[in-house]
This record gives sequence, C-alpha cells and structure tokens, in this order.
Amino acid sequence: MLREIDLLTEFSQKAGTEIDPKDIKIDDTTLRDGEQTAGVVFANDEKIHIAKMLDKVGVHQIEAGIPTMGGDEKEAIKKIVSLGLGCSILGWNRAVKSDIDASVECGVDAVAISISSSDIHIEHKLRKSREWVLESIKTSVDYAKSFNLYVSVNAEDASRSDMEFLLQFARTARDSGADRLRYCDTLGILDPFETFIRVRNIIDIIGIDIEMHTHNDFGMAIANAIAGIKAGAIYVNTTINGLGERAGNAAFEELVMALKYIEGVDMGFNTTFFRALSEYVARASDRILPTWKPIVGGNLFVYESESKVSGVLANPETYELFSEKDVGLERKVVLGKYSGVNTIIYKLNTLGFKISLKEAEELTEIIRDKTMSIKRALFDSEIIDTYKSYKDRLDKDKAGNRGGK
Amino acid sequence: MAIAKSKRYINIIDTTLRNGEQTAGVVFSKHEKIRIARMLDEIGISEIEVGTPSLGAIEREIIKEIVKDNFNSKLFVYCEAEPENIEYAVQCGAENVVINISTSDIHLKEKYKRNKTWVINKLRETIRTARQGGLNFIISAEDATRTDLGFLLKLISIAKKKGAYRFRICDTVSKFDPFRTFLYISTISSATNFPLEVYNHNDFGMATANGMAAIRGGASSLVVSVGGLGEGTGNAAMEEIVMALKYLEHIELGIETSKFREIAEYVARASSRAVPIWKAIVGTNVFAHESGIHADGVIKNPKNYEVFNPSEVGLTRQIVVGKHSGSHTILHKFKEFDIELTDKQANEILNMARTMSIDLKRHLFDKELMYIYNDFLKKNKGRKEE
Repeated sequence: MLREIDLLTEFSQKAGTEIDPKDIKIDDTTLRDGEQTAGVVFANDEKIHIAKMLDKVGVHQIEAGIPTMGGDEKEAIKKIVSLGLGCSILGWNRAVKSDIDASVECGVDAVAISISSSDIHIEHKLRKSREWVLESIKTSVDYAKSFNLYVSVNAEDASRSDMEFLLQFARTARDSGADRLRYCDTLGILDPFETFIRVRNIIDIIGIDIEMHTHNDFGMAIANAIAGIKAGAIYVNTTINGLGERAGNAAFEELVMALKYIEGVDMGFNTTFFRALSEYVARASDRILPTWKPIVGGNLFVYESESKVSGVLANPETYELFSEKDVGLERKVVLGKYSGVNTIIYKLNTLGFKISLKEAEELTEIIRDKTMSIKRALFDSEIIDTYKSYKDRLDKDKAGNRGGK
Repeated sequence: MAIAKSKRYINIIDTTLRNGEQTAGVVFSKHEKIRIARMLDEIGISEIEVGTPSLGAIEREIIKEIVKDNFNSKLFVYCEAEPENIEYAVQCGAENVVINISTSDIHLKEKYKRNKTWVINKLRETIRTARQGGLNFIISAEDATRTDLGFLLKLISIAKKKGAYRFRICDTVSKFDPFRTFLYISTISSATNFPLEVYNHNDFGMATANGMAAIRGGASSLVVSVGGLGEGTGNAAMEEIVMALKYLEHIELGIETSKFREIAEYVARASSRAVPIWKAIVGTNVFAHESGIHADGVIKNPKNYEVFNPSEVGLTRQIVVGKHSGSHTILHKFKEFDIELTDKQANEILNMARTMSIDLKRHLFDKELMYIYNDFLKKNKGRKEE
C-alpha cells in the first residue's frame, strides 16, 4: 500500500505527468443526483432536452435517473433511451433485483448498483453486516451481468469506509464482473491528498476502473475529482452547475475547463456551448446562476478595478487563462469605486466620447463619489449623464471666467 | 495519514472589505463596512484587510473610523507599491499595510511595461516609506504563480531583510491545482524559511482546496473572504477554510462558527448578492434532505449524511418532502405534526405527495402536506361509506 512517506515523491511526479485525454470519460448525473437535490424536480420534457444537450456537448455517459421509482421517472428514462443518442445511458439502482429489473425494462445499456461501504452506513442506515453488503454486490452484479449490462458498483460513503473493507468491496465487485467502481465521497469530506492516496491504493491493489463521485461540502469537489484522475481514475461523475444534494457535486464545466487549462488535458468538448447548457439547467432547476459562478457565471470577465483593466486592455492574458468566447460569454468593463483613469478613458471611448487624461482624473473622483452614494457600479446612461454634466460645468466655468475678465 | 497534520496555528486574514468590495459592481456603505469589520472581529478572525486608502477621502474616513475602534483583530490596509499610497495609509492611522506589486513577466511586460529592476526599486522605495511611517508590512506578489521562481525568492529575501511581517503569494489567475500549490509553497517555504501567506482565486472552483494545500505546504496564513466574495469568481471562502481546517485537518482556530450564517447573510445583503442555497457550509440547502435514502439515513442518525451539526454554523436541518422522498420521511414528517400514520397510510400519502411534487416541479410545503392528508382522509371516509 502507498504510505505517507511515498506521497511527496508521488505528487511531484504526478503533478507533471501527462494524462491522455482519450482515457478520461464523463458520466453526467444532472438528471439523477442533480434532480435528487432537495426541492429540484425536472419535468420530463426538460429531462429529455437536457439529455440531448449533454449528448451534443459530448459527454460519454448520461445517468438518466432511477428506474425503480416508476411512473414518470421510468417514462422519462425510456424516452431518453429511445432518442438513440451517441452516449451510453445509465440507470441508478440499489443492490436489489427488482431495481435492476426496472432498469432492464427501460432499455438502458448501463447500470450503477449503489450500496454503502462505510460501517456507519452499514450499521445505522442499512442495519446489516459487511458480509451482507458483499453478498448483495455479488448477487446483484451477477444478475445485472445476465442482461449483458455495463455495471458500475457504487461504493457509497467510500471516503468514510475502512480501507481494508473497501478493498474487499472493490475485489468483490471486480470478481463478480463489475466494469468499474464508483468512489463516492458522499459527504464531501476528502481533500485532494487523501483522495489521491486512497484511489491510488484501490487501483494498485485491485486493478478496477475507478469513477470519481465527489461532493462540494467543503468546496473541494473539483479538486478531489482531479486528484482522483491524477491517481488513475478514468471516469468522473459530474453535474451541470454542480447541481446536487446539499452543496452539490463536481460541476461539469469547471472540471472540463480545469482539466484543459490547468492539467493540459483537452477532452475536445464544445465549450462555447457551456453557458447555454448551464443557463438551461439553471432555469429548469429553478436555481439562478450566480454571477461569480466559476466558468459560466460571467463575472470573471467583468472588470471594474483600474489595475485589472489596465492589464487586460494591454493584453487579456495578464488576467485570463481562457477567453470569454471559449465559454460563450462576453467581456465587459464597468465603472465603479475601484475604477481609475485608464478604465474611465476606455469606457467613455466605447460610449463614443474621447476624453483627455486631465478630464479622466477629475472624473475619477466624481464617479467614485457617485458610485459610493448609490452603492453599485454605474449604468452606461448614468456614465454618459455624469460626463455631460461635468462638461457643462466646465463650459460654464469657462464662460464665467471670460465674463469676469 | 496527512502530511504536516499537526497542532499548529493558522492565521486567517479576511479581505471581504478590500478584495471583496473590489468585485465589479460591489460597494459597501460606511455603516456596512464598520459592521462587517466588527462582526469579523467578534467571531475571532485574527486579521482583517479593511480598505484601500488611495481610493480617496471618503474611503480614508471610513478606514480611520474602523482603525479607531477597539479591535482585537489586527487591521491591515492595502496599497499598490508606491510611496504616496503609504502616506495615505499613515493619514488613516493604519499600523499595518499590505504592499502589493505584480511580479510575473507577463504583468511586468504588458501591465507595467517595466523590468524586474524597476519592481525591486519600487518595492524598496515603498518599504522605506512604510518603515519611516512605523508601519508593519506584508509584501504581496501579484500573479506569483506565473512568476519566475528565482525572482520571487529574491523578492522574499528582500522582504525578509527589510523586516516584512509576511510574504503573500497570489494565485491571481487560478493557475494552480492543489498539487502544484503544495509543491510550490513547500519549495518556497523550505528555501526561504519565512512566513508565507497564500491568496487564491476560484476560477476553476479550487480556491479552498488550494488554500488547504498551501497549509500542507507550510504556509502560515490564508487570505479569505466571507462567502468567497471577490473579483471575478471570488476568493477562498472564510467559512469553508475555517470548517475545512477544523474537520479535515483537525486544526481548531477558536472562531465562533455559529455566527457564520448570520455574517454570510449580512455580507450578501450589503453586496446585493444572495447566498446561493447550495453554498458550501452556509447555504440553507446544505442541511435539507429530500431523497428517500438520505432523509431516511439522517432520521436514523444525522451522522449518516452530516459531518457536523447544522447549529455549528447557525443553520437548521430540514427534511423536505418531494419527488425523491420515501415512506420513512412521510412517517417522520407527520410525527412532527403529531400524527401517527400506519405504513400503508404513509405509502398512499407518499404517492400523492410525489405526484403533486412532479406536477409543481418543487418540493412541498408543510401546509401542502396537510392538504394532502385532509384529501386522503376524505377519500378514505368515502371509501368506507361505500
């Protein structure tokens, strides 16, 4: 097993290692874990629309829902299967035969079989034993495989599981014929270093494909998913906008862009479509996209402070690793408390007014006072109005001076 | 299992009032600035960046007023490296100052249109003024993660020689992941043996993870803001860092976390940016459970799905009924209303509730559950009479 002492060397090596983009696959669960968020319900039409968008953007697998819920849910999954999309369609199941029967009825090509691996869940939630868990994996994987399905075994609460038992869990899944193990950080309690060492150990010892399912309870969903990939995981379970229970899951758009721009792993997704996809899911889930949302929120490309504007106007790369067009957004400059002469000259120029440095200096103070009294950035019409009143005053002063002479 | 997981103290410097306010479109009023500073002080945040003196007379008045107040927190003001800015800081009565300058080649070439010697001279000049004014100073290297390492080490050694309080490493464009952060900080830390502080942005959703990685790498201080408020995608969120330190690294800072929700809400209102209900640590949805599996687990034992008690951050647990609810949730929910249901009744009500939730596209309010219950009673009464 990988020990602490090896960690440093391992990190230093892995931090620079090339990952082949072709090896990494996205299994998006907006329609399952995303909808499972307290208060979120998608209409069936919305589910179908989201599935089409996910396929168009290029995800490899869609976790379409929970067939055993029956009714509307089952109908939606059947319809998604019947669309004949390019990606795989997966149904979520407990380790129960009747759940798998429901998945088979929906016609999905893949199933996730979920069962807890932590003692706390086994004792307090399932009220069963470790042996019962292993037996359930065997029986249900066997059963699913009899229908020739792709099988993912989900180790729920894996991050709080005893490592020895988790290895046994993974071995049982592998020996029963499961295609992959989903490593669920159900409570979002891992950090990237712990994630790396745990995932690496499972891969080294058991040798099964690993999928990362991470939660954002401590703000580390993306970092942990990436740590899993660095450790050798090849699937990531994402949701659009990070929609998911409690603080949500690893956001699809953040993961894809972080892989591309930080890790140098370009999976070839159509990123210009990200904003549209995020907006649709935000509306369907009735959760507005915060302007500061990473990647698609828009605020990354809104500039007010003098220091940033000066840099970005000279060369956007001073403050941007990717451009606004890469994700379907726009760059904007607004005038506010932190704006200075360069910002004001630029902004007025875009509004059709050429001003001198001296004018800009005087306007800086006027605009700062104004923005502080109204507690926000100025609208374009307010900027124009402020500039015009300033000009009028100058003209009057000039006239007054002349008259005085 | 963790490296460097020890009982050490980590310093938090909150920049809600400086970089938080620098967010495009955000302006705090004087009253709000003072209130936020007091709240941060009261819960035990050790250092606060209160503002930028060079921004004019009004800002300086506000800073003066905060500085005059009797705070336990150490208060810093923020200056771009320029002797004149230090004089403004002195006018405010500030005792501690952050001196910021860009250090990366791209910023030097494109933003300053100057060379490295210019940066060193500018820094020396500004430091001299700060020392003359009797100020305690942190040197902040903007875009440090894209800076030539040799140059950065040189700047740190200047800062050290001149008696700086700490050196700030800014990941201005979110260039690093936690592994790179760890390597970078541990390399610099062992090369300089000088107190380091790390400033992260959230462009790829990794601000908190990078902050935590920096701690592992040997940083002694992190720059944070309430709710992660800050330019672009924002900074590492104060509440996430404090709770991650406590629950993931077992480093207890003695901060009064039960006020987190209240502060988050106050800053949200003052900045006109609502706290998303899913915001990690302080969002109201973080302790809301709907799905059968989760709600059932939480009802049996909160530890099944919660790492800490909601009251620890000033929130309350909610069990909501919707499309994904199970019959246990219904039984539990009605018990809260003092109504004991049989399993069969619960299943029937569950079906009605699910149908209604799908139809309404949301979870149900408690009132609506009662309407369903009344409908259910009426239906059953009718059935019996038939």
